[in-house]
Amino acid sequence: MTISELLSQYGDKYVEALLTTWQLTFISFAGAMIIGIIITVMRVCPVKPLRISGDIYVQIFRNIPGASLLIFLVYALPNLQVILSYYQCVLIATVLIPAAFASEYLMSGINAIGIGQIEAARSLGMDFGIMMRKVVIPQAVRFSILPMTNLLIATMLTTSLASQVPLNPKDLTGLVSYINTRDTGGVTSFLISAVMYCGTAVIIGQIGSYIDRKVRIVR
Amino acid sequence: MERNKDVLDKSLEIPVVELRHVEKYYGEMHALKDINLSVERGEVVVLIGPSGSGKSTLCRTINRLETIKSGEIRIEGKKLPEGGKELAELRTQIGMVFQSFNLFAHRTILDNVMMGPIDVLKRPEEEVKKEALELLKRVGVDSQADKFPAKLSGGQQQRAAIARSLAMHPKVMLFDEPTSALDPEMIQEVLDVMTELAHEGMTMIVVTHEMNFARRVADRVVFMADGSIIEEAAPDEFFTNPKSERAREFLDSINRH
Amino acid sequence: MRELTVRDMLYETPGKETRKKTAVATVVSLLVIMVFLCYIVKLFSESGQLDSRYWFFFTKLTTWKFLFEGILGTLEASLLAGTSALAIGFVFMCMRICVYKPLNYIGIALVEFTRGVPTLLFIYFFFLDVPKMGINLPTVWRISLPVAISASGMVSEVLRSGVNAVPKGQREAALSIGMREINVFLKIIFPQAVRYIIPALVSDLVIVVKDTTFSYILSFPDLMQNAKVLISNYDALLSVYLVAGVIYILINYFLNRISVSLAKRSGMTPVVGR
Repeated sequence: MTISELLSQYGDKYVEALLTTWQLTFISFAGAMIIGIIITVMRVCPVKPLRISGDIYVQIFRNIPGASLLIFLVYALPNLQVILSYYQCVLIATVLIPAAFASEYLMSGINAIGIGQIEAARSLGMDFGIMMRKVVIPQAVRFSILPMTNLLIATMLTTSLASQVPLNPKDLTGLVSYINTRDTGGVTSFLISAVMYCGTAVIIGQIGSYIDRKVRIVR
Repeated sequence: MERNKDVLDKSLEIPVVELRHVEKYYGEMHALKDINLSVERGEVVVLIGPSGSGKSTLCRTINRLETIKSGEIRIEGKKLPEGGKELAELRTQIGMVFQSFNLFAHRTILDNVMMGPIDVLKRPEEEVKKEALELLKRVGVDSQADKFPAKLSGGQQQRAAIARSLAMHPKVMLFDEPTSALDPEMIQEVLDVMTELAHEGMTMIVVTHEMNFARRVADRVVFMADGSIIEEAAPDEFFTNPKSERAREFLDSINRH
Repeated sequence: MRELTVRDMLYETPGKETRKKTAVATVVSLLVIMVFLCYIVKLFSESGQLDSRYWFFFTKLTTWKFLFEGILGTLEASLLAGTSALAIGFVFMCMRICVYKPLNYIGIALVEFTRGVPTLLFIYFFFLDVPKMGINLPTVWRISLPVAISASGMVSEVLRSGVNAVPKGQREAALSIGMREINVFLKIIFPQAVRYIIPALVSDLVIVVKDTTFSYILSFPDLMQNAKVLISNYDALLSVYLVAGVIYILINYFLNRISVSLAKRSGMTPVVGR
């Protein structure tokens, strides 16, 4: 199909799919950040079982393939009488996996601060709350800007998992596979989706490195 | 140069810092063995000894950056709390200067000095800023006030770190090898600031390898080896006529270099 | 003594009071975790998933042999994709560091493109569109090639960071003994660069292994596909997917461990990956 044929026939669908991908990406990323922060708090706290659970969570979800997790949620959970909608399954997968990476990045952000500054904060009489608010979190956040930017892009790529279940409206990958199973969309049909993904990634990347330049800590 | 000692009425004063029978272990290693030390108001005590002798550890136990196994540490007669608000509050009265400066990397030099008084002591910003600038001037880094720590030389960073501690109006200052991480040409500028502080009557506990500083500024030299205090004496006496074999060996090994 | 990190230092070394509180919190948290685990076991038993019919075949050697064949399939596709990604990534990197500007821009565009597009889109392209062009690839290539292309941009960036990490003096020294520019790169710079980046490459392999999971789309017999066959043979869905998932997690966990220990040995900071 030529590009004009594709656009006249599927133009609205592409726009709809782009919006779906964006929506999935931002909801997943927000969820991943919340869970990632909770997991990180567990991993730094002095209560051993919580620490270990946090570590186990990260090892499971940073190592499980997205497809394997999604298939488990969609096909295996109903056997446990847990029935979720396709959309919920996709969201759970695209939240749980990036959350593990979010926690890893936050942990390395915290570790990058160095023990010395923690001791200095304590020596000035800062209690735990002040130390976290004034010394630890501001620095951990700055160290995490670039990794989190990449995580946002990775989350967008992960949302292509949505193409593995019947969803309406479809995401960018799902739409292309739909077009090409019914029609001969050709390279162009893939390129349109690819450019949409890629354009989003480039914009996210630019914003991320702009913020990073603004707040970067000179070492 | 002699300090005005008559303000110290020894009979009325309780020691600013007092350690009694302090023991500490790192796993199997006996890091501090029955340490007894008391530091009076206005006194400058210099801890020296070979590396691994426990002098840094001793210094760090005083504001509980290191915990102890047994024994007692008192600050102005008050037992060092084990945590919580009381510990944080007590720490505001104990200044600490580290080997690696440990300025907060995400804040300017001025902010570093102001953070303690504002965020911990909750003092009004304007007043604190004025005082912070004066302190920075006193240590000679006022021209760097708006820069970030990484932009400063080691000597400048360390002087700023001293100003940060002074901003809390501490009752005692701990210096944990403050010049060990510095290039040779920067050591003196930091020692000068410390000397001035001593002459102004600040109570100081200093861990250092700078023997000249110890000789000129200390009221008392405490020599440690293998986690024990081996010898305590006035600097003149210690450096000219050390009583213990260990101290003599130590001084010999330094003089050879 | 073990090197302490901020993670261990964030909280004050506990005194007696705090130790008591921590002990209480430990007990409470253990209870919560136990309740959670019990709930999951209850879920399993109430829905009959603990029935031996769902698990007995895991005692059979044939089951494991079949799963192992699947693992081999996964490894075959992964290694093929990994080496291809290395080759494509190398070409991209050469374009990116080349002095000829237009080639440079094409290199950047290709890297951004492959990094910004999901693997699945490449897989569908090779699955749905390439055959229509009359190109018939062997099945393993139909999964490995898209996975490789998808990883190539990332690999190219890793390679480039390695090349940049080689001290400038190396190049100057080689030029000064009369080596030609191309030889300087191939014989002096690149071999050293590779040593810097092996940990990062191993951790990228994890991403490749994960991406090959999509093999089931084209029925290539990898671990996931063989798991599906087991499921239809024994009508045991949950147990098989659970075991397959655990195997994937273990494979990737060990790859990550290898990456970290390689990084430690060469004194580099470990990579988190994606």
